[in-house]
Amino acid sequence: MVVFFKAGSELRHKLQPDVDYYTRRVETEPGRTVREILKDLGLDPAFVAFVYVEGKVKNLDYVPTEGQNLTLQPPVSGG
Amino acid sequence: MSLNDKEKERYRRQLGVRSWDQDRLRSASVLVAGVGGLGGTSSLYLALAGVGRLRIADRDRVDPSNLNRQVLFGEESVGRLKAEEAGRRLREANPRIQVEAFAEDITPASVGRLAGGCSLIVDGLDNIATRRVLNAYSVRSRIPYLYGAVRGWEGMLGLFEPPGTACLECLLAGNKDTDTELPVFGSLAGTIGLLQATESLKHLLGLERTLLGRLLIYDGRDMTFDLVDVARNPSCPVCSSLKA
Repeated sequence: MVVFFKAGSELRHKLQPDVDYYTRRVETEPGRTVREILKDLGLDPAFVAFVYVEGKVKNLDYVPTEGQNLTLQPPVSGG
Repeated sequence: MSLNDKEKERYRRQLGVRSWDQDRLRSASVLVAGVGGLGGTSSLYLALAGVGRLRIADRDRVDPSNLNRQVLFGEESVGRLKAEEAGRRLREANPRIQVEAFAEDITPASVGRLAGGCSLIVDGLDNIATRRVLNAYSVRSRIPYLYGAVRGWEGMLGLFEPPGTACLECLLAGNKDTDTELPVFGSLAGTIGLLQATESLKHLLGLERTLLGRLLIYDGRDMTFDLVDVARNPSCPVCSSLKA
């Protein structure tokens, strides 16, 4: 199964996009959570606060489906 | 309560804005929690707009490293209490409103005194722990919470008012503060603070199409805005007991 991870400017250097400037194509097994997929990629899930997909915020326990585009959002707490 | 001649002149350029209600703004009370990069900007524009009663709370003193983004302070402010400096600056900016400044920490013991009776809480904080205190009070007292946060090139804001929407804890889930100082620059923090000010005014004016239950996520490097829904967490420790 293929999903696409997208990162904004704060996580892009960790994601190492390969499809375009923002996006990395990820092959994974169906049923794996975002947290598990991040670990499979060697990315520390602590760098990601939540993801959003199809206009909705999801936590790292979300299980993506084939072809989905997921945007990774880092913890943002400054002021 | 009608505007006097000086108020009519001061607010003349905004009185013609469609759906604007200066009397409604004058009768509003808002807590701006933190008057740094976010809260300094939002409080300034709420004061200029004529929000009648602004409460500001910040325990810190001005540090030289604040001056890249915190527009209420200058080099002469370094070492002074932020709340007092910001209060003075806001009263200068608009002497026709009431500004109450509290140079103290927002804790479970103090939050009711600081936020009680307000029609909106504006988050200008720089840490998750205090946001949790404020969010819990917001949920208990049913005062809407306007979240804002920045880091590097990215920032976000959203408006929460459970049980109709998620609360901030639904979004934060298990997130904790990082040990490191997050990088931030002035125009990024100012952008989010300005958007918070506009969103506050819309809420106070009773307008529709606010960010209720949604996040607006801004990436300054890419110049993109994403608008996403935040669903209630059915097991949220803060708001799940409230029935929609």
